[in-house]
Amino acid sequence: MAKIELTDVSIVFNAHPQKRVSLKEYLVRGLFRPSVNPPMRVHALTGINLVAGDGDRIGVIGHNGAGKSTLLKTLAGIYPPTTGTRIVEGKICSLFDIMTGFEPEATGWENILYRAYLQGETPRSIRGKLDAIAAFSELGAFLNIPVRNYSAGMMMRLAFSIATAIDPEVLLIDEVLAVGDLAFQTKAQARMRELMQSARLMVMVAHDLVSIRQMCTRVLWMAHGQILRSGPTDEVVDEYVAAMHRQAQQALAA
Amino acid sequence: MLHHLSAVWTARHFLLALVQLDLRLRYRRSVLGVGWSLLHPIAMTIVFTVVFSQLFGDSNPVGYAAFALAGLAVWGFLREAATSGSRAFLQNEAYIRQSPMPYTIYTLRTVLGQAIHSSLALLIVVCLLVFWKGDPGVLVGVALAIPGMILALLAAWAIATIGAFINAFFHDTAQILEVGCQIGFFLTPIMYRRSLLDQRGLGWVVDINPVNLYLSVIRDPLLGGIPSAEGLVQLGHAYAAALVFTGVLIGLATAVVSWLQKKVIFYL
Repeated sequence: MAKIELTDVSIVFNAHPQKRVSLKEYLVRGLFRPSVNPPMRVHALTGINLVAGDGDRIGVIGHNGAGKSTLLKTLAGIYPPTTGTRIVEGKICSLFDIMTGFEPEATGWENILYRAYLQGETPRSIRGKLDAIAAFSELGAFLNIPVRNYSAGMMMRLAFSIATAIDPEVLLIDEVLAVGDLAFQTKAQARMRELMQSARLMVMVAHDLVSIRQMCTRVLWMAHGQILRSGPTDEVVDEYVAAMHRQAQQALAA
Repeated sequence: MLHHLSAVWTARHFLLALVQLDLRLRYRRSVLGVGWSLLHPIAMTIVFTVVFSQLFGDSNPVGYAAFALAGLAVWGFLREAATSGSRAFLQNEAYIRQSPMPYTIYTLRTVLGQAIHSSLALLIVVCLLVFWKGDPGVLVGVALAIPGMILALLAAWAIATIGAFINAFFHDTAQILEVGCQIGFFLTPIMYRRSLLDQRGLGWVVDINPVNLYLSVIRDPLLGGIPSAEGLVQLGHAYAAALVFTGVLIGLATAVVSWLQKKVIFYL
């Protein structure tokens, strides 16, 4: 049984124009002179309500900075809601930022283990999957050398093979990835489809409206951290496309 | 807190695999292997022994070497926990952004690595003592020091966690801690004995120094061997003080975690 329940979730944080605030700045500002680095309130998500259960395939669309990725990270439990409640039941598999978080000095094999543990596997449960992961990555003997010697494509192959090796109940995907060379891409796409079908519940962020139409049963259209429209796929996507056209024409006219 | 600890327990495979990696990387790719990382405290000990054992009126060079090396091992452990530990979140940012693991496993990664490292230095101390004294009393000393090491480990985890959270908000924290440690080293009875300060009426400098608590429950029983009745009472007092102080640190760390764990990701 997989379940997602977001009730009135908002995420607000302070961002500074210069990323770092020093202790000096923190103590001095306001006391002696106005701050040169004033904090800005960022309302990343505002009043999000979302309920989903077994069998739901949810697509999330919207322009850049609309809060789509923030929504996914909130679902994954990485961003804690400032207000509101988040309930997610089921084993989560999140496919975003998979290229980061390799230990560069460790070998491919070792990184497979670290990643798998990070995703909640145990030494016992991973034993049977190691060979399958290695075979899917097609990296062969390269798995014996440190990851720092890998090319970007090889890294991507490894990351993808590990991330998709577990059987998730809740699948969270950000921007279906262009993975490796042509041969691997075909294979990766097939694997993605398989995953999407086997997952009980999926939330997918994409700009590729074709795959959204193919894969999703429902669509959320987000703007400025809020859900603008929510409903059956074709309805919302059509509306979204029309709105984007209008916007483009206005921009041309102006 | 229990909930948090059970989450740490769930992450143990991940944690231990990374600690193992850290240690292997530290000792690999060098001719001396493990030796390199021990070279620093050993070289310091030799210098101290040659120069200071005479100066501080210690006529027994082996005894002084064991004293200095044990002090350096404990000191080095707490210092690294504070300074490297407070960089833990920045170093593990990629994992933090990917997976909702409890934050304290990243400080524990640093602290566990350091603990194993410092235990090796203490092992050398034990070898020195066996060589010097040659009696089984050394083992009694080791047994009496082990609970102290566990307390130091908990304290170090707490310090690293507090430091890491503050460092995420103010990046100058790690630097401030480093300067503080540099000064602290000379204010702590590591290369000189406490009696030296007592003679000059400066004993209070040691009394207010929390690092001394951990020295008196690790180094002192280790070097003391089988304690006298009076020594046992003293050790009991030292343990009580260390226990209270560690408890306070853990309380502080728990407060910091529950206060900041929902905010820190936006500041990394």
